[in-house]
Amino acid sequence: MKKILEMKNITKQFHSVTALKDVSIDLYDDEILALVGENGAGKSTLMRILSGSYAANSYDGQIIMNGKKQKFSHTKDAENAGIEMIYQEISLMNDMTVAENIMLGRMPQKRIPGFVDWKKARQIAVEALELVGLDVRPDELVRRLSTSQMQLLSIGKALMRKPKILVLDEPTSALTGKETHTLMTILRDLKSRGISCIYISHKLDEVFALTDRITVLRDGKVINTYTKENLQPDKVIEDMVGRKVENMYPKVHVQMGEEALRVENFTVPSSIPGKNIIDEASFSLKHGEILGIGGLVGAGRSELINAVFGAIKKEKGEVFIDGKPVKINKPTDAIAHKMGLLTEDRRASGYVGTMNLRENISLASFKEISKRGFLNKIKEKKATKVQFDALNVRAPSIETNVLNLSGGNQQKVVLAKWLMSDVHILFLDEPTRGIDVGAKVEIYDIIFELAKKGVAIVMISSELPELLAVCDRFIVLAQGRIRGKFSREEVTEELFMKAATNIL
Amino acid sequence: MKKNRKMLGKDSAIKRILGKREVGILIPLIVVFVVSGLVNPLFFGYQNITNILFQSSFVFIIGIITTYVFILGCMDLSVGSVLGLSGVVTGLALVAGLPVWLSIIFGIMAGGAVGLFNGFIIAKFNIPTLIVTLSTMYIARGLCEFFTRGNPVYPLPANFNILGQGKLMLSESFGIPWPVIFALVLGIIGHIILTQTTFGRAVFAIGGNKETARLSGIKVKRTTMIVYTLSGMAAGMSGILMASRLGSALSNSGMGWELNVIASVIIGGTSMFGGAGSILGSAIGAVLMTTVTNGMAMLKVSVYLQKVVIGVVILIAVGIDQYNRKRSGMKE
Repeated sequence: MKKILEMKNITKQFHSVTALKDVSIDLYDDEILALVGENGAGKSTLMRILSGSYAANSYDGQIIMNGKKQKFSHTKDAENAGIEMIYQEISLMNDMTVAENIMLGRMPQKRIPGFVDWKKARQIAVEALELVGLDVRPDELVRRLSTSQMQLLSIGKALMRKPKILVLDEPTSALTGKETHTLMTILRDLKSRGISCIYISHKLDEVFALTDRITVLRDGKVINTYTKENLQPDKVIEDMVGRKVENMYPKVHVQMGEEALRVENFTVPSSIPGKNIIDEASFSLKHGEILGIGGLVGAGRSELINAVFGAIKKEKGEVFIDGKPVKINKPTDAIAHKMGLLTEDRRASGYVGTMNLRENISLASFKEISKRGFLNKIKEKKATKVQFDALNVRAPSIETNVLNLSGGNQQKVVLAKWLMSDVHILFLDEPTRGIDVGAKVEIYDIIFELAKKGVAIVMISSELPELLAVCDRFIVLAQGRIRGKFSREEVTEELFMKAATNIL
Repeated sequence: MKKNRKMLGKDSAIKRILGKREVGILIPLIVVFVVSGLVNPLFFGYQNITNILFQSSFVFIIGIITTYVFILGCMDLSVGSVLGLSGVVTGLALVAGLPVWLSIIFGIMAGGAVGLFNGFIIAKFNIPTLIVTLSTMYIARGLCEFFTRGNPVYPLPANFNILGQGKLMLSESFGIPWPVIFALVLGIIGHIILTQTTFGRAVFAIGGNKETARLSGIKVKRTTMIVYTLSGMAAGMSGILMASRLGSALSNSGMGWELNVIASVIIGGTSMFGGAGSILGSAIGAVLMTTVTNGMAMLKVSVYLQKVVIGVVILIAVGIDQYNRKRSGMKE
């Protein structure tokens, strides 16, 4: 056992936020090391440092390979040192062939420089494909491959550069069970050939089966490292969660009413044919209740509520509102049934950047502010001003452009849009993402205020303490299925995380 | 009360006028007017001013709806060909002896059909609007040539020709050409629909952020189809007026006009990125384009240089617009 890589005392700051604090990890030759942790624990940041995406002068600490200090100021430097990265998002050239992708930037040349030696290129490509057990022609267009084939191709491509260290970030999120199995076999095979791997995954069952050592990160710090011999799954989860649930959030308990929404057997297809991002999910919700949907990134949380809202297509599933079956195929249907959706990314799908606050707030309430198609602008101003004041939006006036506001106030504007349309059921996807603490508390207050008025609320949040504190009841998704249902009384972070990582 | 007005976003009248986007391009228009007028006093003559407005109206009638198309974040290259097609359809109907009103309806419907086709393909198949309307630009022009075999369609009846050639006489010697009146009426209707209706608001919202609009319950596909249909109809109206003006429907009528229309709308400050624009701006843009050409002719600048100047004017207008956007903090 020889140490081939050491990352020593890495500290990385983004402005005032410390993403990594004094993190040290080691990697030995022929081993597979797992990096696990919650969303935002710092795994990806650490790997970006290793890959040279963050240049050597942008952080503190050292990278030592085989006893030699390395300074990567560019991804090319890391590649030359023998580090290859496989990311969750596949980056291949869709309109090039398999062979061209494998040889990208390193095309073998004929004796006349500038002319490609296609014969040799194909030969090398076939070699790479065999290595990962991928049965496609070298001159097939990458666009025609399935997502899992693309994932294997990226690995094959990386292997052709003869790396010493292979880093895989959530490589199985696009793979089916069988393909995952193939990938694991390949990785074990690589290990026996002296290529070490760093394996990042949310799926602890895979991690436990595959890896030799597990390093747990939390809040940018290394919490613990386990070897296969002393591994205790429960301890790993405890380390991932770590914090004690404190009552940081002033939970307001409200009297719940009748059932507002019931969703039955929702199945939502994913972009990968034959795989569902949501599989047979059912849940229900009362007036005044706040239901938390948990799970790790990619578990299908957003897809579930987007499908219920009609924003993305479902394969099957029924929706009942106040006990009556309703058909919701597009957002217009959902809005007609007094639903609202605050999306994960307010810039992409929350507000209209070219419009002012008034126009943004009234966007879903044309019926209330118009008569026979003509806008009643006096009515519009009055009605939007009511929301503007109620939510305490900090802006000079309702005629201010929405882009001039802070993230928290922009989020309030998006909320105001749904409040103005008088929603009875509100879906909140990461309502406090990228918002400062003060504004967060204001958003919680708005949520509780709505619940008091009898609005049924579904909330998604990657911040577990926040979710646990705000919601009355929880469902936890993992790989598109509901893996756990908990009440506020029985839930713990450990329980939650077990369900989310599929080992409950 | 005063404070309340302020809170509702009412600024003083002067500030509001100066804050309008159209002001930026009014300045070059005034400069061109003053310079032309100083050099050649005939420029300000009733005859010449009427002539400028007359020439501008054909572009502007199309530009009204092209403004909608741009605000939607789309593009319509087919308008020049549709202009020709509608003229030809109306012309053929007239020559076949159909009544004037029915021939005009046929012409407008032909334009609307091409527009609806554009809108349908764009909404249904999500193909870039540039490509879809490029195809229909060829298709519509091809149909023109096919129907006429390249020959002009004439003679057209006198009671039809009056639309493009006649004037609304306000006194013995003072009259306004009918196309100018049509352009004015259509422009006002277009402005009201854009600024005062939910439909207009939907167009702005879709152009500003399609996904937000969709998730807020705005009917994106339907709105897109309506706008494209209107675009075809507007091009049709302009084409019918053009045939009437010439007393003859030509298969090559309106060739290259799509670029004139686009230029006038851009000069008018409407963003090609969607979400912003105004009919008033497009009106000023159309008049500015004509005035530059007209003014240069009066200044005896070589005909061959006029396009150079138009190109420079477009760059300046867009430059001013970009500068204003940056200053107001609207990056996208």
